[in-house]
Amino acid sequence: MYFLTGWPRRLLCPLRSEEEPFHIQPSSQRFYFAVLSETQLSVWFSRPSVLIVSYIESAKAAAQFGSYQKAEWKPDDSMIAVATAKGYILLFDVLGGRDDKYLYEPVYPKGSPRVKVTPGYKEEQCAPALSLEMKKPVDLEAPITSLQSLQEDLLVCTADGYLHVLHWDGLGSNGRKAICLTTIPFSLDLQSARGGPSLDLEGVYIRCMQYCVTLDGFAVVLSDGRLGFITPLTTTITADQLQGVWAADVNDGTCVAVNNKYRLMAFGCASGSVLVYMIDTPTGSMQLSHKLELTPKHYPDIYNKTGPVKLICWSPDYSVAMVTWECGGLSLWSVFGAQLICTLGEDFAYRSDGTKKDPIKISSMSWGAEGYHLWVVLSNRRGEGRRSRKEEEEEMVTPPHPSPQAGILQFHFIKSALTVNPCTSNQEQVLLHGEDRLYLTCGDPSQVNSPSDTHPHTHLNPHDGSPLPHPPNPDSSLSQGLSTLLGHKHWHVVQIHSTYLESNWPIRFAAIDTAGQCMAVAGRRGFAHYSLFTRKWKLFGNISQEQNMTVTGGLAWWKDFVVVACYNFTDQQEQLRLYQRSSNLDNAFASVTKLHSDTLLLNVFRDMIILFRADCSICLYSIERRNGSPHPTASVELLQEVSMSRYIPHPALVVSVTLTSVRTETGITLKAPQQACMAESIMLNLAGQLIMLQRDRSGPQVRDKDTSANNKKLLPFCPPVVLAQCVENVWTTCRSNRKKRHLLEALWLSCGEAGMKVWLPLFPRDHRKPHSFLSRRIMLPFHINIYPLAVLFEDALVLGASNETVLYDGLQGPSEPLEALFPYCTVERTSQIYLHHILRQLLVRNLGEQALMLAQSCASLPYFPHVMELMVHVVLEEEATSREPIPDPLLPTVAKFITEFPLFLQTIVHCARKTEYALWNYLFAAVGNPKDLFEECLMAQDLDTAASYLIILQNMEVPAVSRQHATLLFNTALEQGKWDLCRHMIRFLKAIGSGEMDTPPPTPTTQEPSSSTGGFEFFRNRSISLSQSADAIATGKFNLQKTFSMPAGPSAKGRDAECAENMYIDLMLWRHARHLLEQVRLRDLGCFSAQLGFELIGWLCRERNRVARVEDFVSALKRLHKDFLWPFPVTPVGSISSPLKNGRCRAVLSTRLLNSQSADSLLNSDMDTAPPQAASANHSWLDRLEERAKDMDTASSAHSDQHSPQTHDAFLSLLTNKVEEYSVGSATDLTETSSVVDGDWTMVDENSSTLSLSQAELEHISMELANKGPHKSQVQLRYLLHVFMEAGCLEWCVVIGLILRDANVIKQVIGFLDSPEVPQETVQSVQNGLLAVDTWVSTDCLGYKPFLNLIQPQLQELMDSAAEQVQPEAFQPTCQSSKLSGSDGPGGAAVPRAEDSRGVAAPLGLTLPSLEPAGGFPRPPSEDCPPEQTEEQGDEEGAYDCTLS
Amino acid sequence: MIEVVASMARGPVFLAGELMECLITFTNPMSHLSTSASCEMLAWASAQIHCQFHASESRVALPAQGNKQDVQAESNTVLIPSRGERGQCVLDTPPKILFCDLRLDPGESKTYSYSEIVPIDGPPSFRGQAVKYVYKLTIGCQRVNSPIKLLRVPFRVLVLHGMPEPPFPQDEEVSPSNPFLEEEEASRRDARPLERALDMLMVTTSRRCPHMFNITNMRGKVAKFCIFKTVYRLGEDIIGTFNFSEGDIPCLQYSVSVQSEEEIQEHYQRRPGQVISVTGHGRHMESCLHTASSHFSLPIPLNVTPGFSTDIVMLRWRLHFEFVTAREPMEPPTVLQNQSEVTVWAGAEHVDVDTFSWDPAYQGFAHQPGLGILHVPLFRDQQH
Repeated sequence: MYFLTGWPRRLLCPLRSEEEPFHIQPSSQRFYFAVLSETQLSVWFSRPSVLIVSYIESAKAAAQFGSYQKAEWKPDDSMIAVATAKGYILLFDVLGGRDDKYLYEPVYPKGSPRVKVTPGYKEEQCAPALSLEMKKPVDLEAPITSLQSLQEDLLVCTADGYLHVLHWDGLGSNGRKAICLTTIPFSLDLQSARGGPSLDLEGVYIRCMQYCVTLDGFAVVLSDGRLGFITPLTTTITADQLQGVWAADVNDGTCVAVNNKYRLMAFGCASGSVLVYMIDTPTGSMQLSHKLELTPKHYPDIYNKTGPVKLICWSPDYSVAMVTWECGGLSLWSVFGAQLICTLGEDFAYRSDGTKKDPIKISSMSWGAEGYHLWVVLSNRRGEGRRSRKEEEEEMVTPPHPSPQAGILQFHFIKSALTVNPCTSNQEQVLLHGEDRLYLTCGDPSQVNSPSDTHPHTHLNPHDGSPLPHPPNPDSSLSQGLSTLLGHKHWHVVQIHSTYLESNWPIRFAAIDTAGQCMAVAGRRGFAHYSLFTRKWKLFGNISQEQNMTVTGGLAWWKDFVVVACYNFTDQQEQLRLYQRSSNLDNAFASVTKLHSDTLLLNVFRDMIILFRADCSICLYSIERRNGSPHPTASVELLQEVSMSRYIPHPALVVSVTLTSVRTETGITLKAPQQACMAESIMLNLAGQLIMLQRDRSGPQVRDKDTSANNKKLLPFCPPVVLAQCVENVWTTCRSNRKKRHLLEALWLSCGEAGMKVWLPLFPRDHRKPHSFLSRRIMLPFHINIYPLAVLFEDALVLGASNETVLYDGLQGPSEPLEALFPYCTVERTSQIYLHHILRQLLVRNLGEQALMLAQSCASLPYFPHVMELMVHVVLEEEATSREPIPDPLLPTVAKFITEFPLFLQTIVHCARKTEYALWNYLFAAVGNPKDLFEECLMAQDLDTAASYLIILQNMEVPAVSRQHATLLFNTALEQGKWDLCRHMIRFLKAIGSGEMDTPPPTPTTQEPSSSTGGFEFFRNRSISLSQSADAIATGKFNLQKTFSMPAGPSAKGRDAECAENMYIDLMLWRHARHLLEQVRLRDLGCFSAQLGFELIGWLCRERNRVARVEDFVSALKRLHKDFLWPFPVTPVGSISSPLKNGRCRAVLSTRLLNSQSADSLLNSDMDTAPPQAASANHSWLDRLEERAKDMDTASSAHSDQHSPQTHDAFLSLLTNKVEEYSVGSATDLTETSSVVDGDWTMVDENSSTLSLSQAELEHISMELANKGPHKSQVQLRYLLHVFMEAGCLEWCVVIGLILRDANVIKQVIGFLDSPEVPQETVQSVQNGLLAVDTWVSTDCLGYKPFLNLIQPQLQELMDSAAEQVQPEAFQPTCQSSKLSGSDGPGGAAVPRAEDSRGVAAPLGLTLPSLEPAGGFPRPPSEDCPPEQTEEQGDEEGAYDCTLS
Repeated sequence: MIEVVASMARGPVFLAGELMECLITFTNPMSHLSTSASCEMLAWASAQIHCQFHASESRVALPAQGNKQDVQAESNTVLIPSRGERGQCVLDTPPKILFCDLRLDPGESKTYSYSEIVPIDGPPSFRGQAVKYVYKLTIGCQRVNSPIKLLRVPFRVLVLHGMPEPPFPQDEEVSPSNPFLEEEEASRRDARPLERALDMLMVTTSRRCPHMFNITNMRGKVAKFCIFKTVYRLGEDIIGTFNFSEGDIPCLQYSVSVQSEEEIQEHYQRRPGQVISVTGHGRHMESCLHTASSHFSLPIPLNVTPGFSTDIVMLRWRLHFEFVTAREPMEPPTVLQNQSEVTVWAGAEHVDVDTFSWDPAYQGFAHQPGLGILHVPLFRDQQH
């Protein structure tokens, strides 16, 4: 396909003249261009683009002939015919084209050190010298309307309704014939009765005419605007042998251009559209194929203001047409109507400051050689086309203007290699070629370039020490498909070797190999190839070999061989040659096969070459690589010849020929997938009609075995079947993949404006016998927004390219150079997914099973969720916005289809979030209640998706419902530590609360889109676009923020609501914190507080004597070890006396280390420690009961104390102080403190080690240091220690002190215990805890023993002081009881009624009644005990407010 | 036999200062079904990054370096990452031990992850005519009683100048207010240098500021040249426009090449005043007689090294222009219409020409107004 690049180049006529050119006509090979102005005929050369000669008419002759109007070249470039205004045909001889005389040959100064810039400049960079001589003019006596050059004749239409046939050579009256238009019979088709001459043709003449070789006739536009096609019935054109057909119902035709390759006639109309007609062969009537029209959608300003079509120009390869209108502008269309470029919009039409530019008005244009350039002659920019004679005469008086600015522009194009060389050696990479460079899509070149760099192998075999060379693996690029082909947007640009280019310009063919690493180009003569491995071009070493061959039928890569179909000038024969890539480019290393006829097309399929020849036959050759000689060669053998002349009217009509493995019956390939790789059919694109010839397998199938046994007898082909019309390109692959058979065995077609089509195989499920009514393949059309250039089969992607523009205006001040007139054009790589179209179409056709199989094969693609979402979205938009009711809506089917995939929930919610609110009811009616979907998400633990559903709920349900769901989600998010989500939920809950007050509850049935809460506003104003990224999690968060950041109501009422909301949230946070602390999840508590900004110290102060107590020191210690990945201390082997204990201790330690991540290690260790305690527990349950009662007393008194306002106030003041201090200095203070403490810790250790004196102890300490946990954990523990210390939670301080083995902490805490403020039970708890730890340490973790010894004095002191107050026997039972409650804590969380579970879990039924109130006591207030909660809530709310104000 | 495979998932191109990650897989390739299969033992394996410097003898005179190599270096049981490499090791990171005492049963494979910050202060990867800087990740491993085997993974390092140095990890890191916030911070910080670098690249290279040059020779004005940027990313096109319509001297042809010059710093030059080596990376050539205005776009290859300088070598980029101009200023002939005779104008067969070259970067026509130094430092855009 064609793409515009860069800026146009402006040519400058060296002759100064006030006449401006208005017509340009290329010679047949497009090397010369005849340019006309009123009295001047100039001939320009194509490359270099210089003026060769200019013929200026004398005044007398100019007056006689009138001004020049049109020009035509004789096909052999030896003559030019010019039509003049007064009805003369002037014939000019072009002389000297074959002499070796050149113009503008540079002469370098003698003795100049620098000789020439370019080697070979003279021959290649100079224009040939030509001269023009006028022959005798021919007077046709009527104004000439159209001029058409035929092989031998020149056909001229005149305004008097005559058609003149002039012989190029035989001039004068004997060489001419005139046919009157009225004598030609016209009808709607050739079958209808051949009436006499049409009567209504009186006074009508041919306005525009063009001859189509492949249709053998003339497409004409008559002066009354009718369109027709005139066929000569015999080989010569004579009056009575002409027959015409009309195009029905058109009468505003302006111009015509025929497409010889696709047998199309493009008629321009006054309405601005181009009608493209074809001839229906059976009836001979004209049938409209398609239209080229600007759509109001893309060109709203201009689509109906373009004026009549002025010119249509097919590119030399007939794959694109350039159209321009009276109002100017250029537009480029593919042959079947895909629009590629239009300069009437965007950057072409507007400057960067937004002002509108005048579109360039074009008076004439023509394509340059091979379509790399478009030569455009601009109309006079100063307004009306040509000035009147009078004005010109007036200007004659004044000196001529210095070089006029209007002139010839050359637009540059790059085109897809497929347009001229549709070979399939690489179907997955995009290769474009410009005049002097190649553009290819490939991944990071350095990455692909050196696979051995990224994945080097080495073998450590002693006799194979060197790394193995890594052979370039063709599959590697395929497996990396996605990353390398889509990885980045850069083109890899390869400049064609200048030496080759200068002598062989223009490049005609280009090809790339399967891996995308090697390219080959062929110009006028010879060819050259390039490798990305070496970054070097390889040219023929012998220039005469290069100049003695010309590539005729295209070139392709087969493995590392270049396959060319060429003409050998020395032997004067057609040849098929294969050159190996790595050897020198020389005929000595080529394998040459003689061909019998001209080759037109060449293709490669696996190890086969397929040739299409000018005699309309197809030849299949096998290729085999031979490694024998020093250079590997290939041998070619003819396998089969298929004559196609019966089906092909003209060889030039064949666009492409491909071997494929596609068959109509998939049943055969189903059994043996390897057969999928065999050459099963020939696909022939005949002028856009895709024809398939299958191998005839109707014969006995036994022969299969013969063929597999290397019997080269190949099956004949069946008669052709037409698969599709209007086909521009075909893609298949010969790879097979069992998992993606749908995609790999399909045939992909690009069909111009109709988008793409896929011929998809249908497979019976589970190898069941296919239904008889189920056809085996299905043709599905689908639309894509890009022009497809390659198909990535496995990735379900289409690659393409599109023109982009960059404005450079406004950079250079007032002057208007070209940069300001035109944007700079670039070509961008694009890609598109299409799977949703196909799935949808399968669903529409009740092929759900096939759709499911196809979708499942692609489910692992990264953009698969996006595909699903797109499908729902498109169907939803279509059906929900449809005006008429849809009888059989697809959305429920689509929804049901998606439920087959795990991403159903996300898909639906993402789609909903990108859709207008108004469509939600429709959507959720089809897919299910959003509440249920939300709950499903929660069950599936997909919290982010659940959060998205919350937005839906918020808008569709009453606030109570969304709050209820939000609370659910919030709690789950807290539990899972999804902090971001928690923060969003906090905002959400607050927003719901404040929104609740002043908006009516939005219910889906009554809700109008106009009602406004913040959330509604947001959704309504949001533009819905699918181009938005599918990264829904990010958008989801963004939305949440947007939605909930609305200001709270300014009224006092609103503030109250806000307070209530805050209270509600705080309650939930407190509950979660309690929950964490109960379960000894200190690490989670730390994260929780840090992430959500939870005031830990203040809260702990309040909970100091409730949940912030440690009930079982040993299990708490173990839990900390586990959570903070803190190793248990290990004692040196020597210091342990009992070998048995040693062994046991080791075992526990190792299991713990191994299972440190798994939850059951804690359980195991509990089991280990349980027996001794249980045994000791037995002996005095009565004592314990007594103790309990006492306990209860003290506890209840403490409790009542807490409820007395005074005590509470005291707590509050503490809280506020701490909070302030904490929040102000949090960023630096705390860390500094912690690091200081850190330093202290080591110092303390040193001190203690000096105290303990012995060398063994010293060793010991160093070992303990080594046993220290990760640095991060240490910092975190220190931080927690600090927090607990501030909050006065002494028990926790002891536990952390223990794990950090910080004697100072223990000392400090025990010091505090003396103070009267500390409740007695805390003291007891610490005592008991330490005793329990001591017991545990002695039995299970001797590593702690040294540390306990170290703090022995303090412990002793504590015990002594405790002994005064409490009887020592009581310690153990209490410990037991608290241990029990601690261990069923986790269970309590899962069961709503904690008290109940506690009661059930208590092992001693006897104690139950008396224990119950006591048991309830130390536990935190929860929603299960409402009276307490309300009371507390009131207090705490006040406290909170107080803190804030 | 043990097979070692190293793979860099991110591809082989890194910015200096970026974290490199490499997965190293050790496989015992014997099938466990095979009779001769036995388990394999590796004593240890370690990995480190090093940069090899190699200079051409004829161009660079390096100060004689005492052969300070350890005596032990001769024995190949000592790990020297650069063993067997050409040139000297100018930079290496401390080796990281991947494992000790690895036992692989037949068919078993183990994968280790190696990550290291690519040194920020090193030179970029560069393969020039006089000097080369090559980065490699070398993985060494040893069986008991066997020599050390080295596996080298070459990779490319790009250095971005003017990029703020990333804070050194661990030591200087800004401690978060709460140690429990740390984890998230750390993951965020990882992505930062690359992002920052790309942002900087985008800002630097997307700024357009046209530079205009009037190109004249001693006979008169030839053309006006405009270039829109002087700083480019790798892979970008250098775009420039020429306007010949205002020139007095016809220009037959021009060519523009992208070139890099590699200059050895003075103390290291083998010969005083030795020529700077110039490498061409792309050339646009155009015949421009009868052309009023034209443009060129030259792709900057993705595989080149942006300009840099070390104490030994300096790499600069420039555009080199050549013009073939007519010796005589040609006054365009004026054709008058309505002459009594037919006029046939034909182009001249020979044109006396001069060739001029223009290297704005180092030989610029300093006296010309509006001429500046054209810097074309090139950067690589890492990811798109």
